[in-house]
Amino acid sequence: MELEEAPKQNYSEKEKGEIFNQEFLPHIHSMYNFGYRLTLDRDDAKDLVQDTYLKAYRFIESFQKGTNAKAWLFRILKNSFINDYRKKSKEPAKVDYQEVETYYNSEEVDRQITPDLRVESLKDMIGDEISNALNSLDVDFKTVIILCDLEGFKYEEMAKILDIPIGTVRSRLHRARNLLKEKLSEYAKSMGYNKA
Amino acid sequence: MNNPMNPFAKPDQQKPTCMEMLQTILDGQATEEQKQYFKVHMDHCMPCYKSYDLDMSLKQLVQSKCCGGAAPTDLVEKIKQQILQKSS
Ligand SMILES: [Zn+2]
Repeated sequence: MELEEAPKQNYSEKEKGEIFNQEFLPHIHSMYNFGYRLTLDRDDAKDLVQDTYLKAYRFIESFQKGTNAKAWLFRILKNSFINDYRKKSKEPAKVDYQEVETYYNSEEVDRQITPDLRVESLKDMIGDEISNALNSLDVDFKTVIILCDLEGFKYEEMAKILDIPIGTVRSRLHRARNLLKEKLSEYAKSMGYNKA
Repeated sequence: MNNPMNPFAKPDQQKPTCMEMLQTILDGQATEEQKQYFKVHMDHCMPCYKSYDLDMSLKQLVQSKCCGGAAPTDLVEKIKQQILQKSS
């Protein structure tokens, strides 16, 4: 469950409370947003976040005070989502990314055509288009965008949160952004933004 | 461009792709040296030049449109209560 391989800590009840209040709770809004984007349901998001914090408290001795609490919490939430929540819902089987990632790690990448989307049409999207487009992506793709663009995690931290190599973080992120652009370019087309 | 001084070069001396360089810059994970190199690179690489603005705008839009607001106010209280119950 721990992010870094650290020896078990020995905290007093008072210390546990302090860590929980000062290092864990400040991330509640980010955690809730992540939970909501994954489940797309406010109640499920609440349950998921609550579950995550209870687990974090239960395993608090695996957490080394003063280290990256946010990454540790995000990792627990992501695992809870996959192990508990996803099992309950009838999600289709995971897409096999192997092929995709081999492709994006190859030389082909520079020749690949990016979706036809313009900065100007992006700037016209002032409503929920971006948010809806993000929500509509597959869980693994939206997760990397949330971690990187919204929460500002470094590739290395993302690799630890997601249990994947950094190269995979990069290629998945690249793929996710292209998918997001595709969605937005469809939207721009339907609104007639790209006519010019 | 087979520049041996490319600061993006990987340990195995493999030439980095434009996508890799752009990503590193975009995500704020580039060193000063890499930033300088990329600036010059953009002057003669149209795909990077074009992608840079679009990708930067998209990243900024995601940041401003998808932050999702605050967690419900009762959530923290609920969590604290549950912990008290379990540890007593
Ligand atoms: Zn380039």
